[in-house]
Amino acid sequence: MAASPLYILLCSGEHEKLQMAAMMASVAAVSERPVEVFVSMNAILAFAKDVDPGARYQGGAFSRLLKERHAPDALTLFQQGKDLGDLKMWACSMALDVQGWDIDRLQDGLFDGALGLTKFLSDSETGQFVTL
Amino acid sequence: MAERRRIDARGAFCPGPLMELIAALKLVSVGDEIEVLSSDKGSAKDIPEWVNKVHHDMVGVTQESDCWRIVVRKAK
Repeated sequence: MAASPLYILLCSGEHEKLQMAAMMASVAAVSERPVEVFVSMNAILAFAKDVDPGARYQGGAFSRLLKERHAPDALTLFQQGKDLGDLKMWACSMALDVQGWDIDRLQDGLFDGALGLTKFLSDSETGQFVTL
Repeated sequence: MAERRRIDARGAFCPGPLMELIAALKLVSVGDEIEVLSSDKGSAKDIPEWVNKVHHDMVGVTQESDCWRIVVRKAK
């Protein structure tokens, strides 16, 4: 029996939540489970191109530890999930509009396009939904 | 003839060792084995769980002095 798809609504820009979203998405994708990630609100800022690595991730005490101990980079984990599994990432069209960005302002190779929340919610009715 | 390749993932945090294993499995032939050395405590359970889920073969998991040694055979 095919695994139920996993849908992740990623809104937080906190490093810790980005990291957990990246871990969940990549591990599920490489475990033959389809995954779709919808990135909106503050989370989209972490996916901007040309951001200094030290400034990309903002968070609390655990964020400092993740950086100090060189835990896997969250964007790299998302990329691995795409390369090795069935992982799609969507940029929230509203967040892009509010920010005044086009999709090409985001990290190359990660996003499958811009999408509205209505379509993502409709698609997600077939699977498990997680919000971070 | 089947070959065995070693991945030294000691010092890598979850899910790094699993990702390194999966990337390596893409590059070897069916029947080849990958030996993963991992100091991540979760790997000893996470990697066998993944292997069973995606239908490769677990050869063995052993605890060494400073790491886990996990051997996987590519089955498909």
